[in-house]
Amino acid sequence: MFERMLVGKIENRITVGLISLVLIMVFLGWAAINEGGRMQAFQQMESARSIEQGAMLFAANCTTCHGLDGRGLAGKAPGLNNPMLFGHDFYPDVTKQISNLTGEKKTLTDEKNAAGTTDARKTEIDARVTEIDTTITGLDAKRTADTKLAVDKGYNPTDVSYSRLLEVGWSGTLDSFILTTLIHGRPVSSNYWPQAMPAWSQTAGGPLRQDQLENIVAYIKNWDKGDNWTLDDLYAVNQFPILPEDAGPIREQLRQAIANGGTVPQPVGTDVKAIAAEVAKLTGDPAKGEQLYHAAAPATLTGQNLPCTGCHQQAANGVGPMTNGTYTRVVNERLKEPQFAGYTPEEYLIDSIVNPADYIVPGFQNVMVPNLGTEVLNAQDLADILAYLKTENQ
Amino acid sequence: MSVLPFPSFLDDVKEKGLKKAVFELVDESVERLTAGLNIQDIREAMRGEPASRKPNPRLQPHADGFWLHMRPSYFHADMTGLYPEFRLGWLSTYLVFFETITGILLMVWYTPSPEIAYSNMLAIQSTIPLGQLMRDLHRLGAEAMVLIVSLHMARTFFTGSYKKPRQFTWFTGLLLLAITGFLSFSGYLLPWDQLALWAVTIGASMIEATPPQIVGDNLNLLLRGGPDIGANGILRFYLLHVLALPALLFVFTGVHYYKVIVHGHSLPPKKENIGEDTAKRVPLDKRVYFTPDVLTSELMWIGVTTLIFVVLCIWFYDAPLELHADPQVTPLGTTAPWYFLWIQGALKLGDKVFFGIIFPTIILGVLAVWPYLDVTPSRRFADRRFAITFFLALISFITCLSYMGLAKFGVETSPDTEILHELLYPPQHSHVGALLPIPYEQLVPGMYITRQVEGDPADGANIVAAFNQEIAQPYTGTINSPAIVTGAANAKTTVGDGLLDVVTDQKLAVSAVSFKEVPSDAPELLHVLHLFDEDIEANTNYLVNGWGAIIITQNQNNLKRADLVISWNEVQVEGGKPKLDASGKPILALDANGNPIVRYKTDHVFIHKDALYFGH
Repeated sequence: MFERMLVGKIENRITVGLISLVLIMVFLGWAAINEGGRMQAFQQMESARSIEQGAMLFAANCTTCHGLDGRGLAGKAPGLNNPMLFGHDFYPDVTKQISNLTGEKKTLTDEKNAAGTTDARKTEIDARVTEIDTTITGLDAKRTADTKLAVDKGYNPTDVSYSRLLEVGWSGTLDSFILTTLIHGRPVSSNYWPQAMPAWSQTAGGPLRQDQLENIVAYIKNWDKGDNWTLDDLYAVNQFPILPEDAGPIREQLRQAIANGGTVPQPVGTDVKAIAAEVAKLTGDPAKGEQLYHAAAPATLTGQNLPCTGCHQQAANGVGPMTNGTYTRVVNERLKEPQFAGYTPEEYLIDSIVNPADYIVPGFQNVMVPNLGTEVLNAQDLADILAYLKTENQ
Repeated sequence: MSVLPFPSFLDDVKEKGLKKAVFELVDESVERLTAGLNIQDIREAMRGEPASRKPNPRLQPHADGFWLHMRPSYFHADMTGLYPEFRLGWLSTYLVFFETITGILLMVWYTPSPEIAYSNMLAIQSTIPLGQLMRDLHRLGAEAMVLIVSLHMARTFFTGSYKKPRQFTWFTGLLLLAITGFLSFSGYLLPWDQLALWAVTIGASMIEATPPQIVGDNLNLLLRGGPDIGANGILRFYLLHVLALPALLFVFTGVHYYKVIVHGHSLPPKKENIGEDTAKRVPLDKRVYFTPDVLTSELMWIGVTTLIFVVLCIWFYDAPLELHADPQVTPLGTTAPWYFLWIQGALKLGDKVFFGIIFPTIILGVLAVWPYLDVTPSRRFADRRFAITFFLALISFITCLSYMGLAKFGVETSPDTEILHELLYPPQHSHVGALLPIPYEQLVPGMYITRQVEGDPADGANIVAAFNQEIAQPYTGTINSPAIVTGAANAKTTVGDGLLDVVTDQKLAVSAVSFKEVPSDAPELLHVLHLFDEDIEANTNYLVNGWGAIIITQNQNNLKRADLVISWNEVQVEGGKPKLDASGKPILALDANGNPIVRYKTDHVFIHKDALYFGH
């Protein structure tokens, strides 16, 4: 019957065909009307899944240095779950006020330098400029005092340093900043972190594809709280990014020292016995050593903080052997190893610092910076650090 | 008078008046366009009336026009019903055009490059209006085409229509089936997702098996454009898909159609005397003219088929798109496309060269020469018991092989891996790991243990508390967790510490193990805990004293992380199966001190609030 109805009569065939055509048009129209909503839902779902994929990659590849919660590891790598990365200004009013004052100062200075300004006016201007400078210093001091918990970890609330992008003068977007960093890594960062950030993109010789990098960017950007960042978020950051210091002042100091007949401090080198003899002549200051070790004071030669705590942390979960009890373990465990027969504890420590690859404590990898002896430490700094480590004898 | 050497339209208007002149112009144009039918002829045809002028103008387009010269001008009345053809040949042809049109629309938005192909797919689905529908239609049409062409071949076999004089028509049809398969297969790679990459990798590795080795190696190299499928491979598959294979398809479709014109449609077997072929000698009273009867029928089937596809694609079918292709990660349970599953199944029987290459070649070869071997004149079912039995057996055989090609057949994965995969795998077709569709708010952060669902539901809190105590006891046996295996100083001493060590190794930020009951407002989570428990219980021979833990943590705003851990006592394994003692119980593997070895297996996923993993 079905066959006869459909196929038997030409008018039935035409009717069925026309109805089909009309229904196709109606359904396509229906789909078209709903398409906007569907596309939006798909985009939302897709960006959510991109974040999920980025989370997997971040956990596997990035947490070792940037921390499980993305807040960075002290002395190792900066926090990304960090209002500074997203350019959040906790004191927008102050920033605006300072910006206005700076503008006014510039106008006044221009007026002062212009021909025909009377001396009386110049004095007036000087007085106002001094007043402006004092106000700005005061405002900065207040911001710095208010955010002390973060400032102690390297946060700089003054000028434009509340935003990482402004601080480094990045003219692109945040996406491009993160993506570019991921693609190429941070080769120069080995000057101020224990190790350089590797290149992650396959195009730069790394392991990850472009789409994977974009997923990681999506994940990192998902930390952004927009206007809802709090100071507690700021204080929770373990490590802030570093703006490479200007080497000029140190160079100038050295130049003057030489001009005055002084000597240029030399790095200790890698000869353990010679270093031990030289260090023995000096008196180590454990307090200064502790500061050096914990990146609270810069090394004399380089003016940069030392990277020790990037790996050696106080408790057990570091990348290197823990700091607590170092001296005890050297005496009780390491020196019992046959290859260290005849070593003093000082010699073992010196050897470990200047020739880090010679002996790796079982269970750890050789990731230590190799240039401490040849470039970074002078004899006094090394003596201070040894004095500090001797106090780790519990 | 016109300046032209023949009367112009204006002359006509002057002579006949505007209305008549225009009508005649249109009428004449229609007759030229249709190669023979004027407006009146078309009206008559559409009304189902006989033609009013002689000779019959409806035959003219078949003689003078391009499109209809490919079609017979009349059919035998016994051929115009559903039986014997079921319109399968016509639908195959229609799908060629359907696929071409949807395919060209997709080509506009597609670049064959591993860098952007996948983001093109995402764009097609997310920013191009009706893009997803086009892709769904193209994909569904492709799968339907393989099916319909196969059915068309089966029908031809059953009615014996391949017999003399249509042996070569059958052969071209077989070629078309093969081309259709390869077209579908070459299109498989283009989305550049995991499904594509691995299905095609399996297919291409069969080609690699072609003997001798130098031929296989080079064929493989030619097809993939390198040792692995990469930028060159995707471009080659794309060119095969949009140029080479369609060109072949169009050529052989032409040959196939031409042969139908030459030999006519074979009648249902019982309508002819044995050994006769009367397709070209249709009695006048049995003639059904192409225009209008067959034409309207074919247009109707186009309409109905398209309607079915549109309805399916809008409401019921979505073309699959899995995660981005990753040559480093082989998904568990990778299979070839369903129409090549039979070859994958055959491969599990043994030698790659024989079962991957020689065996399919033999089957296609036998089918190709079958009409020349089966020279018996009768096309009636009763006289063709052997042939029909052979073909039914072949269908059953291919079906069995296809079943064997499924991932669940004959591929042994250790139960711990299998269970975690079952619960956590990313979307594949319309399936997804059981944990992922749990509503976001029911993923309550905390640690949950399968022991909870093993006992009395009312007693859950006590069971969980007892378990917390149990795993906090110092453990005398060996704990096989990463920190211990690597021999670090901070060796773990309780089963709980081992668990902590395992997940910490996967960069999970937890500091203590403390299980709790699944909250009452998280029934879906409880359901998955049940599934987890059942999976472990189903493998007690391997996972002795096994338990599973689900650890949910808040990772970011709107993003949670779910870690699954299975722990069990290692058993002795022989030939991939647990060794059993006399009473049928598995024998534990013991460490040097004679204590059981606790093992762990873990995996994790992240789930975003908006990820919307639907259904199973």
